[in-house]
Amino acid sequence: MQVTSRFQDRDRPENLVSRLIAQLSHHALWDSVLIYLPPALASIYIITSLSQAAWLSELTAILIIAGAIGCGLLAVMLRYRPLIPGVSSAAQLVDQRAGAQDHFLTMATIEQAHCSESFMARLRHETASFGERVELKRDFPYKLKRSAFWSVGFSLLAVILMHVLVSLVEPGVRSLPVHQRLRGLAEQMAQKPGLNRLAQDLKALAAKLEDPKIPREEKQTLAQEMEKKVVEQQKKEEQQENRDLLSEAASTMKGVEQEQSASGQDQQKDQQKGSGGIQSNLPQKGQGDSKQSQGGDGESKSDSSAQPSKDMQKGNSAQGNPKEPGQDKNQQSADAKGNEPDPKQPRNDQSKEKTGKSEGASKEGAGKNQASEEPPQGAPPAERFYKTGEGKEGIRGARYVTVQLPEEVAADAKGESRAAKESKGIRARPQVPVSNAPLPAHVPNAPTEKQQVPIEYRSIIR
Amino acid sequence: MEPEQFQETFQRLETEVQKVIVGHGDLIRKVLIAFFAGGHVLLEGVPGLGKTLLVKSLSHALGMSFKRIQFTPDLMPSDIVGTEVLTENIGRREFQFKKGPIFAHVVLADEINRATPKTQSAVLEAMEERQVTVFGESHILESPFMVLATQNPIELEGTYPLPEAQLDRFFFKLLVTSPTPAELREILKRTTGTESDDATKVLPEDSGKLVNEMNQLLRQVMIAPPIEDYVVRLVHATQNDAQNGGQPNGYVKQYIRFGSSPRGAQSVILGAKGNALIEGRVHVSYTDVEKIIYPALRHRLILNFQAEAENVTADQVIAEVIKQVPKN
Repeated sequence: MQVTSRFQDRDRPENLVSRLIAQLSHHALWDSVLIYLPPALASIYIITSLSQAAWLSELTAILIIAGAIGCGLLAVMLRYRPLIPGVSSAAQLVDQRAGAQDHFLTMATIEQAHCSESFMARLRHETASFGERVELKRDFPYKLKRSAFWSVGFSLLAVILMHVLVSLVEPGVRSLPVHQRLRGLAEQMAQKPGLNRLAQDLKALAAKLEDPKIPREEKQTLAQEMEKKVVEQQKKEEQQENRDLLSEAASTMKGVEQEQSASGQDQQKDQQKGSGGIQSNLPQKGQGDSKQSQGGDGESKSDSSAQPSKDMQKGNSAQGNPKEPGQDKNQQSADAKGNEPDPKQPRNDQSKEKTGKSEGASKEGAGKNQASEEPPQGAPPAERFYKTGEGKEGIRGARYVTVQLPEEVAADAKGESRAAKESKGIRARPQVPVSNAPLPAHVPNAPTEKQQVPIEYRSIIR
Repeated sequence: MEPEQFQETFQRLETEVQKVIVGHGDLIRKVLIAFFAGGHVLLEGVPGLGKTLLVKSLSHALGMSFKRIQFTPDLMPSDIVGTEVLTENIGRREFQFKKGPIFAHVVLADEINRATPKTQSAVLEAMEERQVTVFGESHILESPFMVLATQNPIELEGTYPLPEAQLDRFFFKLLVTSPTPAELREILKRTTGTESDDATKVLPEDSGKLVNEMNQLLRQVMIAPPIEDYVVRLVHATQNDAQNGGQPNGYVKQYIRFGSSPRGAQSVILGAKGNALIEGRVHVSYTDVEKIIYPALRHRLILNFQAEAENVTADQVIAEVIKQVPKN
């Protein structure tokens, strides 16, 4: 009996409208979720990826993810609430579906207390007969909206773009360190019968690379030797699988060499920063140019800055005091001497254009200064020794160096003001390098040039 | 009374009137709706379209008293409402009220715009209050009471256009259109031969009571609040900013000088209820409203000079308003 009455209650036309409202509310919720879920998932994935790539700290990533989830929930709620249909809208939908000429609308919205009972009974009866034509699941199915597809598409696009951008920004990012990759390769090679020895060598090399006590130069030499071995083995190898393995090993070895040389350069730069260093427009050529940095540390008293000094005007270069060569060699120059020039290292094109000799000098070997860059020593030479384009006023196209002293670097790092620097005795220098190229002649009180009277007018004008 | 009874009576009346009047089915239906809703109708059309015949046939079918007043410029109010006449009765002279033609169930005010405003306004009290006052004494009109006025839209010389106050008292303004060729052929067949058909009486002797019952039934028809809101929005949308202080739509602002009064909304809802009953429903639908709104509002919209210059009619404005006002 109770079941029957429940069925009757369910079949009442007013309940049909309320059931439709519930169903459409679910649809609206799904619509909202499907719009905002893909971007939220994509953003979580992107943040997780960035966190794994160590671009974001774990705490920051967690906070951003929590924020993204919160924003997503808020957006879902904000979108969902206006999408919930009202009673009249739902009733009109049923009316349209059943062709009921606003029976459901009247039934669902009218105040029954003010209506005639007979009219109300008649309306309910008619509405119920129309209600039989409607089946909610059949007539109001859930359909994915286009916005959901757009949302998924844009989210996927964002993830793909993120991967592309990361690969563009950090092409050298690798998941494993070199020695681990070498060990992995060694393990693979160990399984091959002809590559056992090479595998052992690779393991040994990996162990040495991992050892921080072994100097970098030695590591580099070892890597080069191993690369030669691998290449030789590759030439001998007949099996395709082994060849592939060896080519992978060769490329890894090249990578090891590059890393070692790059870390050497980084270390050099760090040392330059630590000891003041020199900003120069001269070509960087490893040891060959290293002597040019002699005036870097401890020569702040001399006029070695980029400002046009008396020495420059006399034709001397601004590369430190030429009378005291090598007296105050800093650590950077010592380190730089130890480094061999890397023939694969890209050179400064500008330096190639400007100094044709420098390229040849760098090819000849390390540790030699270029003749054109050698600072003049002793008294200024006689006028007959000047080349064309040179004179007492200076050298045309002369290069400059800007020496930054350690005190200045420290002061810059602390963010001290110019006044504070001056109070400590640090002379203010211009940050922009200044060339010592001679200025064009300018005589302010020179007489203006007089134009002669043409011959035909000379007899007329006197 | 049951809705089915109402529907049956209505259909019989329609059929009887259509025996005499060829075509104009919609016009007849709306006149009957106005009658059962207790309203008055203004019929507008060129001469010879059967306006007077329609009213006569309707009164015949209803079986109620019918009077016709031909409005002319020299017609006086007393000619309509009646006057006190000195009579002699058993040696005593006394003033006795002699009822005018307005004392009938159905009154035809033919060419109402030909009478002076003073005479036109004599009908005002009768239409709205259903009573007339003569020499300070009020006389109640018999119920049901309906005024069917006609006016010619083309012969405007020597006419006095009805004032807005009087126009507003008409429930519907119906436009009598020319018959189609088929209808004209049928008219000729019926009127130029020897046989003529007259409308027979449909309602019983005590028809006044029945009409009042039908009127009460019509008012019981249910209307959902969203539909009521829709009517309110429609009527509100016809009002310009001077009337409602709101933001009228561009079309209304462009062509309407004054919009509909609340009487317009009342007419729409009562008319829609009548239409619903005729169609066998006990509730009003949106379609009822859209069918009734034209005759209910067209005479209540006062168009401006621009509308007249551009030949924009009130019906065009109403159609635009229906387009612009959402149902939800």
